Amino acid sequence: MNPIITAFAKGIKKSGIKPSRISVPSDIPFEPEIVNQLGIDFFHTIRGRAIAFGTGLKLGNPDLIVVPFIGDLMTIGGNHFVHSGRRNMDLLVICVNNFLYREINGKSAPIQKHENEQITTQKFSPYSTFEKPFNATHLANSCGAVYTARWTALHTDELADSIAEALNKRGFSMIEVLSPGPNYYTGIKKIESDLLKFYYENSVIKNGESPRNVTINSDEKIVVGKFTEKEQLTFIEQYNLQLGKVLGSKFTPHGGRNG
Amino acid sequence: MKAEPKNVNTGIYYIDGDVAAGQGALAAGCRFIGGYPITPSTKAAETFAEIAPKAGAVFIQMEDELASIATIIGASYAGVKTMTITSGPGYSLMMETIGFGAMLEAPFVILNVQRGGPSTGSPTKTGQADMMQARWGSHGDYEIIAIAPESPQEMFDYAIKAFNLAEKYRCPVMIMADECVGHMTEKVVIPKADTIELATRKFYKGPKDKYLPFKPDKDLIPPMAKAGDGCNLYITGDTHNEKGYPISSQNLKTKTHKSTTRRLIDKIKLNADKIIELKEEGIEDADIIVVSYGISSRVAVKGIELAREKGIKVGSLRLITVWPFPDKKIAELAKNIKAFVIPEINYGQVVFDVERCAHGEANVVLIPHGGAGVHHPEDISDAIEYADRENKKIEKIIEWKTKLEKLIFEKGFKLKE
Repeated sequence: MNPIITAFAKGIKKSGIKPSRISVPSDIPFEPEIVNQLGIDFFHTIRGRAIAFGTGLKLGNPDLIVVPFIGDLMTIGGNHFVHSGRRNMDLLVICVNNFLYREINGKSAPIQKHENEQITTQKFSPYSTFEKPFNATHLANSCGAVYTARWTALHTDELADSIAEALNKRGFSMIEVLSPGPNYYTGIKKIESDLLKFYYENSVIKNGESPRNVTINSDEKIVVGKFTEKEQLTFIEQYNLQLGKVLGSKFTPHGGRNG
Repeated sequence: MKAEPKNVNTGIYYIDGDVAAGQGALAAGCRFIGGYPITPSTKAAETFAEIAPKAGAVFIQMEDELASIATIIGASYAGVKTMTITSGPGYSLMMETIGFGAMLEAPFVILNVQRGGPSTGSPTKTGQADMMQARWGSHGDYEIIAIAPESPQEMFDYAIKAFNLAEKYRCPVMIMADECVGHMTEKVVIPKADTIELATRKFYKGPKDKYLPFKPDKDLIPPMAKAGDGCNLYITGDTHNEKGYPISSQNLKTKTHKSTTRRLIDKIKLNADKIIELKEEGIEDADIIVVSYGISSRVAVKGIELAREKGIKVGSLRLITVWPFPDKKIAELAKNIKAFVIPEINYGQVVFDVERCAHGEANVVLIPHGGAGVHHPEDISDAIEYADRENKKIEKIIEWKTKLEKLIFEKGFKLKE
């Protein structure tokens, strides 16, 4: 988690956005002291609801920059993710994919690496797993995300750049970050010895790669990079456009001119 | 503070309860509703969706009720008045997040237009069987406020009151309507904006770096800061201290549980007298008191009339606020009367609290109803008559058999006959 927070801090600084405008609803707890240092508002919500909560923050006050940090993106809150993408809700979703639930040691999450022989200490699937993982980036892209990228805890500079870029991007953006928490992988031989070395040896940067080709498979290298970027009207812009068209002068645009 | 004229569509209307509730929400200054359509509450959301954009408010159809409730709590922390609208199945889905909202002390309103249950039940028919769910539905200890309107006019009036209470006490407020009230069409008067009194949320005004999100004032309610105010909020559903930080050490956790969770309860309990609204009628010299709420109190009026024609001294206590429960009032009344009679469209929910507060001083007669309809006034007058006749103390809730139940269960009534 720490390399990601560092990259987040760097990204905020680089983006030029005032930290007090940034709200982070999350289903992962941050350290309170870290939030203090970052100067943001932080909401530790309940399992799966960070995107929905963030939607409320954004529509309640369109001036906020809302960045849901989510560990368990595809299970309990999967529907919110899919629909926020469809609406192009102005959120930057940072999906922390640690192959496992961070807090509840040993449960298999659906974006977990497939048939990873190293991950044999999990309690929810003690005999490893045979279920296919989600390609979250591909899903985000097909739901309409305007920005998708994936980095690992090794690529902190690239991640910070991506965060800075996406913070200034209007619309639904998703950055997937691969970051097995070292505390929770102590039983795993290879990763334990050198986490960063694992990423160094097992990842390859392919900017602009089609998201459909970036599934995480156990026998292939993990593809990282900035995959897609496009322009599309956000939910609030579409809302103002449509209602302005129908209601004319009776309608007050939401969130003023900037949406 | 008075209501803003742009939010109030002043006039005399002939509309149903759902429409009135939508109008009431806007008049109360609601700026955001996230909802998911469900019969019989849909029209309230439809109404708001139509009138809100003209007044600068937003309606969004979310993907499900889980999202609806989470999104309004988010918007509440963005500083605006928020509400969601639902019925039984959607209400059940919201439960986890309602507890989260209570823990965060976010002000928000839920309109539950109750229908017959359990499960899908009777979507287009009435019920009052979510009353205990409103009170206890989410896990853990917390308190909420629940109001039961009985007419379209009250759907408007009490929508405003619900927002006022939510903003004032920073807690979830439920409008526990039912299908009958929601779909009933009657005259509704929407008054002028300057006659509608609104409560405002207590926002924090001190130095930003000194802000403690959960440090209460003397009234047990902490002032609130919005997201984006620069107060560096740390808000969590974990047991937290005044600064909002989760507490991990076991000793401290016990201490903060006392000061935080206890306060969630106390801020409602200790202010109960200010919150509770009751309507009393003819209870001064009554032998029997009918305790009712929502649509059942409309039906009870006729039942009481029939009983009075037979010379029985019967009064009516209508619970406009059902939760917090008027413990003191019921205990006081129990000392001087023979029995309470409680008609409700379920197999016994609010009756348990009446029995609890009666402390064995008066008999407690429940007139149950399986839902998908309302009581027959004769059943109510029959139960009153029985309660008046019964001279010995019966130490349990007496379940009155309605005519329909007798017909079905005792005589084996079949439709063909």
